[in-house]
Amino acid sequence: MKKIVLSMLLASIGLIASESTVPYKSGLLLPPQADKIYAKECAHCHGKDGKQTSSTGLTNVSYAVIAGMDTAELAKTLKEYRGGIKSKDYGPLNKYGYGAVMISATKDLSWDEIDAVAKYINGLK
Amino acid sequence: MDKKYIEKMLSKMDEDLSKKGMSRREAMKLAGLSGAGIFMGAATSASAEEEKIVKSNAKGKIVIVGGGLAGMSTAARLTLNLDNPDITVIEPEKLAVSYQPGQTLVGAGIWDQDDIAYNRDDFVPDGVKVIKEKAILFNPQENKLTTDKGTVVSYDYLIVATGLQLDFERIKGLEEAGRAYSTGDNSKLLKALGDDICSVYTAEGATKTWEIMQKHIASAKSGKKTKFVFTHPSTPIKCGGAPKKIMYLANARLKEEGARENAELTFYPNGGAMFGVPEYHDAILEQFKREDFKWHYRHNLIEVDKENKIAVFDSKWQEKGPWDPVMKDFEVIPKHEKIRVPYDFLHITPAQLAPREIGESDLGSAKGWVPVNKETLQHIRYENVFSLGDVAQVPMGKTGGSVRKQYKVLVDNLIALMNGKTLEAKYAGYTVCPLITDIGTVMLAEFDWTVSPTPSFPLDPTVERWVFWLMKVYALKPMTMYGMLSGKA
Repeated sequence: MKKIVLSMLLASIGLIASESTVPYKSGLLLPPQADKIYAKECAHCHGKDGKQTSSTGLTNVSYAVIAGMDTAELAKTLKEYRGGIKSKDYGPLNKYGYGAVMISATKDLSWDEIDAVAKYINGLK
Repeated sequence: MDKKYIEKMLSKMDEDLSKKGMSRREAMKLAGLSGAGIFMGAATSASAEEEKIVKSNAKGKIVIVGGGLAGMSTAARLTLNLDNPDITVIEPEKLAVSYQPGQTLVGAGIWDQDDIAYNRDDFVPDGVKVIKEKAILFNPQENKLTTDKGTVVSYDYLIVATGLQLDFERIKGLEEAGRAYSTGDNSKLLKALGDDICSVYTAEGATKTWEIMQKHIASAKSGKKTKFVFTHPSTPIKCGGAPKKIMYLANARLKEEGARENAELTFYPNGGAMFGVPEYHDAILEQFKREDFKWHYRHNLIEVDKENKIAVFDSKWQEKGPWDPVMKDFEVIPKHEKIRVPYDFLHITPAQLAPREIGESDLGSAKGWVPVNKETLQHIRYENVFSLGDVAQVPMGKTGGSVRKQYKVLVDNLIALMNGKTLEAKYAGYTVCPLITDIGTVMLAEFDWTVSPTPSFPLDPTVERWVFWLMKVYALKPMTMYGMLSGKA
């Protein structure tokens, strides 16, 4: 009887751990996972390899290859896009004409996460 | 361990009391405390229960997200009140139950960091399971959540008690500080703040505050004119008194060193008053005048220039505009500008917000906090979800004193729900702020949603008293750590 109760207890805890489905979300004070952030925030426009140079949405836009960019410079640019102040009056500058879309991609990233992503993109060759 | 601590605490207190020629009994009488009951009743496990607990045989799997003061106290009380409790607490931080109200005392060198650090694992009630992971995905439609390690946890009833995050990164110049929780490793934050900016809002930061404060008191003592600047942000914060408490304590330490005349202490709150309750506002304003503090309302810290030691505030005011013939009145035009304030010592009370995983989940709201019925603490959309503590969207409720009232209401209502009964327990908004006005005096600001003082003791609540200092420094911690966390006090 005890055993049955115990096994029911264990089952009710509902522990289903699986390696492949370990979730990640940016901006939660978790250790940064650059590959997951890149896949979610960057790959849509810049491609999995960081070499995509155009995108067709409402308008057709083109931009430079980002793969292999200097880590420090990239991190600085991303931080400028993200900006520090949320109030619209003191908001970040709209750099290079891509301000809105780049803010939406970076606004939830911590400084640590931006540094990690910059390093990841530098490693895309 | 409990007894040893209490004995040590009491002998320390007797020592302080005898300096003033008073016995413990007299002091307690003066404080309106019934004997030493407030200390001992809650602290000894053998003490007879005043309230008769009728255990409920209600069943269901209860999951509590967050194992701080709110989460662990609730787990303890549920364990006391249920025949067959099935409770799981999800908490990754080892020191989550640490005594946060002591951080201002640490910041002024009255306590040490060791006095407030408490280990989560020492406060887990018997039979309660702890998952040492972080819940990051919530699926309340299916009564499930997922942790950062991929563990899927299902529940019948969910209690959200994650606490809140300190948002230092929204201040320009401090972006690399990131966000922080009160406890845990905050070395990155402290590094970003540097050697002249501090905040007692984290446990480690409180210790650093005392270091930085001593440095600047020494500089004032050496004859240098020293500017002490204190801030209060635009968001709801935990312990609304702390931004001022640390100012009062800095003032006390400056006076102790005979360095007060070289120091200028200025308070920059975002709001337009010292306190939400008029009686306490008036009392604090008088204290500010008496202590020769300066203050500027409607200033919100938005930027720091660490190199040149300048704090930048967004200052807001209103101006009379042109005549509006429809409204038959003058228009009011809101104005604001950046004000640059030089500082030597800057104490930041950061903006505070719900953790992103909560705020952006279906459990959150546009404001980020968990929307609950403010009286029953039940979620407004999911009837099997409750929330309490800092993360709950309850007006004025972000203190340990509020939690002390909330967790009993929550437990009563959850058990009622499990038994299919109506939720009758109601939280009335009680909160308390033992406002330290000097080393040795405290004004016990108690109030609720009526926004008027609701004193527990038959004494004028707007007067600063030494007996409340005794209560703050000696009695409230054991009541919290051994009373609340065992589900009793």
